[in-house]
Amino acid sequence: MYLLPTSEQEQILDAAKSFLTGEAPLSRLRPEHGEIGNRDHELWPQLGELGFWGLALDEAEGGLGLSVCEEYLLYREFGRHLLSLGALGLSLGARIAAKAGADVALAGLISGQTNVAIANPRGPTQLGAISWGAWHILEGEGAEWIVAWSADGAALFRAEQFKILESVVAMDSHMTLQRAELENVEPVAFVSKVQDDIRLRALTLIAAYAVGISEATRDEAVEYAKVREQFGQPIGKFQAVKHRCADMAIRAEVAYCQATYSALALDNALEDATLQVIAAKVLATDTALRNSADNIHTHGAFGFTAEADAHLFLKRSHVLDFLGGSQREQKAELLRQPSRKDYGVG
Amino acid sequence: MDLVYTKEDEIFRQEAREWLTTNAPKSAPPPEHDSAAYRAFALDWQRRQYEGGWAGVAWPKKYGGRGLSSIHQLIWQEELYRANPFSGDGHDLLFVTISHAAPTIIQRGSDEQKAFHLPRMLRGDVVWCQGFSEPNNGSDLAGLRCKAEIDGDHLVVNGSKIWTSNAHIADWQELLVRTDPAAPKHKGISWVICDMTAPGIELRPINIMTGPHHHHFNQVFYNDVRIPLSNVVGGLNNGWDVAMTTLGFERSTAGISRQLVLSVAVDRLIALAQRRFGNTLFENDELGARLAYVRAEVTAVRAMALMAISRSATRAPGSESSLARAYTAELHQRVMALAIDIIGPDAMELREEDRWLHQYLRSYSNTLAAGTSEIQRNIIGERVLGLPR
Repeated sequence: MYLLPTSEQEQILDAAKSFLTGEAPLSRLRPEHGEIGNRDHELWPQLGELGFWGLALDEAEGGLGLSVCEEYLLYREFGRHLLSLGALGLSLGARIAAKAGADVALAGLISGQTNVAIANPRGPTQLGAISWGAWHILEGEGAEWIVAWSADGAALFRAEQFKILESVVAMDSHMTLQRAELENVEPVAFVSKVQDDIRLRALTLIAAYAVGISEATRDEAVEYAKVREQFGQPIGKFQAVKHRCADMAIRAEVAYCQATYSALALDNALEDATLQVIAAKVLATDTALRNSADNIHTHGAFGFTAEADAHLFLKRSHVLDFLGGSQREQKAELLRQPSRKDYGVG
Repeated sequence: MDLVYTKEDEIFRQEAREWLTTNAPKSAPPPEHDSAAYRAFALDWQRRQYEGGWAGVAWPKKYGGRGLSSIHQLIWQEELYRANPFSGDGHDLLFVTISHAAPTIIQRGSDEQKAFHLPRMLRGDVVWCQGFSEPNNGSDLAGLRCKAEIDGDHLVVNGSKIWTSNAHIADWQELLVRTDPAAPKHKGISWVICDMTAPGIELRPINIMTGPHHHHFNQVFYNDVRIPLSNVVGGLNNGWDVAMTTLGFERSTAGISRQLVLSVAVDRLIALAQRRFGNTLFENDELGARLAYVRAEVTAVRAMALMAISRSATRAPGSESSLARAYTAELHQRVMALAIDIIGPDAMELREEDRWLHQYLRSYSNTLAAGTSEIQRNIIGERVLGLPR
């Protein structure tokens, strides 16, 4: 039982950190470079060369043969850099293709030579041999593939299988967003929950990304509180500010610990993995939202401007919150889970 | 990152489970205000653990303990809760004795102190209480004023201590006194072993808010109380340093049983809510959402305990343990407040057999005892995040 990264895992993390620091600094999203959408898809082939899109696939499938734990650590870093959620499309798309034997797609996905969007329900939907419903498409601009998941399983579609109704400016305007419909379509690949619970993997990686945001916003607020002076002293000296930073640190620690454990629970196929993963998703997205809000507030009026990074974290956190089921649905599922088995039940 | 338990861990779990299944208490500890029964229960359980060779799981073997790693302490606690899920429904009278005073004496005590006190503690002969806080010094512990002057080979103590839990059923006390009023405040304190039967000690009972006549705290008055100089632990005027030793000890394992208390409580609340509201609970947005959220939170407390154990494999626990402390104290209060809303109007009835109400009222002390939540946040802000003092 050891929840910290091993030295091999640290090496992967270091590679990811140094790549992202160089190629995906937060400054790429500032107004002077500002635009609708983002250019992160230009990084996908390089991240593919590092092996990141097939990190948790078997070597026979063209992956590195590692586990969801390494993916978890990677997505925590992605969150810190607000990397496009097209990354999640690639990781999940490659997994669906590999597990369903959809060789037409697999090589392009693992190498990051293609773009994958995410479809998220915005009304009644169904996924399976016959798939239908009303969806949002995230990062659909220029995407060749679209992934979606539900309680039943996960599906990979060709982008043109969706009927795009409207392109809208997203609240998180560094991401592209469309309304779309599926009309009784058969996906290119479908992996049922029994075969491989890709939904739980998706939720784990979303939680990891949200942990990254929770920690990055904590660090931004603390750094600002150390240097910003008012009344002749750093504002971090005031207990009202200091204690808010402490609250951010407490929440980030809670989310980090639970998300870490949930990755391990999934990797070990523990009986209570669903409970663990949903707990992580609920806590981590809630923490990302709350820490993002506190980070805006700690930065004062500057935090309210587009020139600060603070609003970017908030907006991405809202996307994570809606992605893969609302908090309300997830909380109901959490209550329906049986008790954990690590202690007696009285 | 892994969840692999060693063969040795698994064997230990099996042994612990077998012994606890037959020997663990079958009920919750009696309520604290039933002092005599509370003391008898705690000492009896300690004695049984001693006779079975399980006492002092965290103590070094040299002093009669099991010398268990923190992972084995976790397993021990999990198996205790499996054998008796009511374990967390009361308070652990011997916490100060076994997990506070004893580790201090083990680390800083003289050979004579160890030889006399440790076996009595381990066997379940004695109860210790803590004499740290004073009427004018709570959060600012180092400013304490209760004074002790040297007279021959004795210290003569005058002053008072307050919020002393269970002093009325304790045999010994870990007492902090000012032995050098001229020195800077952290340098003039001594940690001494005080015999609670010594002449000159008087107690004023202080009832707590859990119910009428619920005696828990005491103010302790010392009028020319003579304590042998040989009862000083860790040397005269080193008391602050000695007290900090124990604080570190308390931090490393405190989260282990708290996560079990909370997890059991939330499982029971979900069952209680389902009995009262049926499956409409899932549609009851307010209560259902709060229950679901605390379920996620108590699950995370276990992950935090495992993380703390993982971290302790490479270094001693530091200030970051305040993160979990501040969190669990407040979470416990949220869980208990939720119980009142789930019980509904019957929560106005204070019944002896209903532990929810008692635990709810008792939880108000969580953010006060052993460092208020404000002190915890100062520690996090300054020592974990590096914000200016």
